[in-house]
Amino acid sequence: MESSVEQNPEREMERAFPNDLDWEEIYQRVIYKYSSPHGIQHIKELMYKLEDKGEIIVQHIKPSNNPVEYQTINGNPKKIPTTKLWNHKSCGQCGHIPGYPTSVFWIMNKLETDYVDEPHQTSCTGWNYHASGASNPVALAGVMVRNFWRAYEIDYYPLIHCGTSFGHYKEIRNMLILHDEVRQKLRPIMRKLDMDIVIPEEIVHYSEWLYVNSKRAASHKRYDLSEIKAAVHTPCHVYKLVPDDTIYDPIVYQGRRPAAPTGTVINFGAKPVDYSTWWDCCGFGFRHILTEREFTRSFALFKKVVPAVEEANADVFVTSDTGCVTTLDKSQWVGKAHGYNYNLPVLADAQFAALAMGADPYKIGQIHWHATDVEGFLRKIGVPIQEYKEQFIQYLQDIKEGKAETEFLYKPHRKIDFYLALPDRVQYERPQ
Amino acid sequence: MFELATVKLSLPEDPRYLDMSYAEQGPLPEEMRNLDQLSEKDRKLALEFYQSLASDFRYNEYLRGCLNCGVCTSSCPAAKFYDFGPREMIQYMMRGEYDKIYEFTNEKVWACVQCYTCSMRCPFNNEIAGLIMLLREYAVKFGLESAKQILAPYRRILLTVLTTGNQVTPDMIQPETFADWGPQALEESKNMDVYRKAIPVDLMQRTDIGWHASLQTAVELMTIMIEAGVIESLKNIDKDLYDMIIDIYEERKQFLEEIKEKYQKGELNEEELPDSWLDL
Ligand code: SF4
Ligand code: SF4
Repeated sequence: MESSVEQNPEREMERAFPNDLDWEEIYQRVIYKYSSPHGIQHIKELMYKLEDKGEIIVQHIKPSNNPVEYQTINGNPKKIPTTKLWNHKSCGQCGHIPGYPTSVFWIMNKLETDYVDEPHQTSCTGWNYHASGASNPVALAGVMVRNFWRAYEIDYYPLIHCGTSFGHYKEIRNMLILHDEVRQKLRPIMRKLDMDIVIPEEIVHYSEWLYVNSKRAASHKRYDLSEIKAAVHTPCHVYKLVPDDTIYDPIVYQGRRPAAPTGTVINFGAKPVDYSTWWDCCGFGFRHILTEREFTRSFALFKKVVPAVEEANADVFVTSDTGCVTTLDKSQWVGKAHGYNYNLPVLADAQFAALAMGADPYKIGQIHWHATDVEGFLRKIGVPIQEYKEQFIQYLQDIKEGKAETEFLYKPHRKIDFYLALPDRVQYERPQ
Repeated sequence: MFELATVKLSLPEDPRYLDMSYAEQGPLPEEMRNLDQLSEKDRKLALEFYQSLASDFRYNEYLRGCLNCGVCTSSCPAAKFYDFGPREMIQYMMRGEYDKIYEFTNEKVWACVQCYTCSMRCPFNNEIAGLIMLLREYAVKFGLESAKQILAPYRRILLTVLTTGNQVTPDMIQPETFADWGPQALEESKNMDVYRKAIPVDLMQRTDIGWHASLQTAVELMTIMIEAGVIESLKNIDKDLYDMIIDIYEERKQFLEEIKEKYQKGELNEEELPDSWLDL
């Protein structure tokens, strides 16, 4: 039987390239989105126009955020706020790599950074979206704007913990700015929640924050990393999703790779080592890590861990995203079944930095949640790991028996904060 | 399966139909692997599927041109392990081959790991990974068989994310499901309670949720998911899940309204609130 394409190709052509679309308008949108080197610049120009028209609220980076300016891959400026930050949590970090966010808070405390970490947030839901497709543009934008609203109303600037949230929000921000129809659908939903459409001036990843603070942080360093060879995996969603909106710096491979987290490794005095698949994905796959791990394990091991060790003799794998830490860390043990016993320690840049600064490997670094040999790595840099371990086991026992209280990084929330998002909450949420 | 020798295609004159993907020009191309001819009924659905897809505001923005250079597929992690490649999909889209797009959606599209390497490398600036997401979104919306199969083992996770806004829970790492993560990773599952209690952030102390969001936040999230039509789209995929989510929403919303009202009247006694609304 002939297909309808064969029966009537013209009509099918019409369908594929409809005449009633405004191609000029689509073309302009594409120009804004992609034309290098002006992609993000145009998005920002449009964003400020929408702000002037009162269509959206822009949360600006203020002098009180003490921002510093870096460059993107196209040489455009990107402002990174360094204090008064609203920590936007990552579901996978909080769920399975707790030492990742606790290291961020610990470093913030050390650097006397003003921040809040509050329960009035959801994840970006991007993991679910990329895994299942069970969402849509209006819902994704709604989730983003609702989270940003909570930061805006207490005047703290959002700092995004997860690499996927970061990439995903950059994309959704562009979509919200370029598409009136999405805003029209979103607005009544936000009004129902007593909110409006708010977009931060810059979308900022914590790894960018950590990088721009890394020299200062490294001045608190307790252990020498000069003998450490660190293979770096830069997370795909940080620099491939909306590529012209993350910072670069000539100190990192002459500005040919993103500044974070490689620059943090450099500023902490370790040697970043190169391997041929540095650009490749980790194998996380969103759905794959949960329900199709055959792929994840094989990819992580053969395309990332093996090259990092065989080509670069790496002592540690440093990365800066939830999914990448999980995948690279958890996919190695099973290789033993086929004689691949690499056991290359995997750490987030924040953990790497905090541990080098002398954070307790268990209470803060929470390295016992990792599957690879992080203890071995710490021994190598001179951390008295056995001592810490014994203390931690005792601490666990004491908590269990009610003899000790958890040593919190900031004052615990009030009970009411677990129910309502109250305007006075910020007085209670700042670190002690 | 196609037999090379018996494939007879009558090609239209339009030059866009002539490319490497036809059997006469070489060994069995990826376009023909795992794709069978559609039945008449499926063709109709395929056309409807394509029309909805092509009328989505993102479709024409994401789909630009294609050199058929294969740069996307050559760097694609999924293409190294699956019978899948983004070039193939873009070629169908360029030609408006709705039947192949439909088959691709059912057979192959779930292999992609959403790394965006293809999007960054494509010389024509196609937003390839975004187009893959469009196919998946519409597969769910249309309740296609492949979406049902893919989402079946994913059900608990969907419930968690749509009702709490968290994707994963600490206690899901259990020996029977995550044995491949090794003994060290499973160590915590034995004494999860105390290990979570020792995390120095009060929001992260439960075993059944990554962090403890506020009740108001959970209700707001569910409101967005309902109003934006996400929950409705689940009806075609998993009706029980849909019903469950709506019930949870109604209960929580009512509870929240009671608390808010009391608070506004100054009658709320914080001490009387349960330790955690998640336990209700
Ligand atoms: S990289 Fe772009 S132009 Fe090349 S085949 Fe893929 S979609 Fe086509
Ligand atoms: S986003 Fe998908 S199609 Fe593109 S390179 Fe990655 S796995 Fe392949």
